[in-house]
Amino acid sequence: MILTVTLNPTLDKFYWVDRLPLSLERVEEEILIRASKSSSSAGGKGINVSVFLACMGVETVAMGFLAGHTGQIILRDVLARGVTANFVWIEGETRTNVTIIERGREYHPVKIHEEGPPVLERAVELFLRKYQRMLKRAEYVVLGGALPPGIPVDFYRELATLAREAGVRTVVHAGGAALKAALEAGPYFVKPDVREEPQVAGLPAKTEQEIIAAGKYALRKGVQACLVSHHVTGDLLITREGVWDLEARVPLSKFKNLVGADDALVAGVLYRLAEGDPLLEAVKFGMAAAIASAEIEPKLCLAKPAIEQEMKEVEVVRKEGG
Amino acid sequence: MKAREFMRRDLTSVELDATIAEVIYLMEQSGLSSLPVLDDEGVLVGVISEKDLIRAALPGYLEMLHSASFLPSLNQLTRRLQEMADHPVSEYMRSDVIFVRPDDEDLQIADTLIRHELKQIPVVDEQGHLVGVIRRIDLLYHLI
Repeated sequence: MILTVTLNPTLDKFYWVDRLPLSLERVEEEILIRASKSSSSAGGKGINVSVFLACMGVETVAMGFLAGHTGQIILRDVLARGVTANFVWIEGETRTNVTIIERGREYHPVKIHEEGPPVLERAVELFLRKYQRMLKRAEYVVLGGALPPGIPVDFYRELATLAREAGVRTVVHAGGAALKAALEAGPYFVKPDVREEPQVAGLPAKTEQEIIAAGKYALRKGVQACLVSHHVTGDLLITREGVWDLEARVPLSKFKNLVGADDALVAGVLYRLAEGDPLLEAVKFGMAAAIASAEIEPKLCLAKPAIEQEMKEVEVVRKEGG
Repeated sequence: MKAREFMRRDLTSVELDATIAEVIYLMEQSGLSSLPVLDDEGVLVGVISEKDLIRAALPGYLEMLHSASFLPSLNQLTRRLQEMADHPVSEYMRSDVIFVRPDDEDLQIADTLIRHELKQIPVVDEQGHLVGVIRRIDLLYHLI
């Protein structure tokens, strides 16, 4: 079983518009944007990973905190997709993240992210008990996304430490201070989120050399593999055995929705690792899953044949080692 | 069809030391009318329902009279609920839990729900771990 943790889930709301008239030149007029299409689905990094895995037939349990009416919608969606849900209910309202996608500029969406409800100490205590119980049945645990208000910044370190003690491999799919703290527990695999800040654990991660250096820093902390996106269609895999550049030969114009693509990547890697594939093959499949997801309007591509088709477009170049 | 194919994979539950206030809060938030009670290992050891809570909060004679119309006001019920609020669920749960297995057939499950007048029934694996729940509406939705 693969356990996923989403401490700050979201209802992902998408609007597709023909044009974004974001001009403030005529401030006396209100701005009305008509959406040609809209959709919403349960989200947050861990939940997205669980949805992908459940669709591939992998047993998966999603954990985290839910609240209010939005929490109910998320729970319903998660259950409908075959994911086992084990959430702690808190007061307030689970957040909604809005993405506005303009025709012709699909790879530059406008996003509005809410903060999410605060999590009180008692809820954290209940979560930790549930988490430790679920670890007994898990092979991997994915710690994904931003921390909600009230959660200490080193919480992922605590969760990764508990997983290591239980003999469960940890995948950290987060960025910033949460990732930096988690590295101290030596997780198995990390996929740093460098979209907002191009850094890994305080080290710059913009150029290829910087990313490799940051990845090697993670390896020194006990991480087995570090996968970092260095541009939209390219990722660097840094392991003790070497460094690989994975590049998808796909033009940006093919992309319809980039939200969730990196979650499809992590989910694809885990799916193939759980199947017993070697890491590099698993990462190649994950990359294909990310590309296939970005090429469709729904958040995740859940069609295995379409993903396998994209594998032909993923080029792997060994940069170091071997 | 087997339980695993149409059960709700929702592990919303409480632990033995959860207070009655937490149980009521969780029922309200999750929309569930009863909650499985688990031990430290995640094994199902009881169930607490709205009915159990009301029964525990009402004076004993009302059960015999089958009516709440004899209550002068709800003050007594409020006071009793407030007294119970900090008590652990283990004091009020039913330990004789009726459950089904993931491989049980729908017909068997329908029979169990009807015979015991249950609104929902937990699904547990061979180790006694909660793996899901089947509500009456899940069964009806599955059968239609």
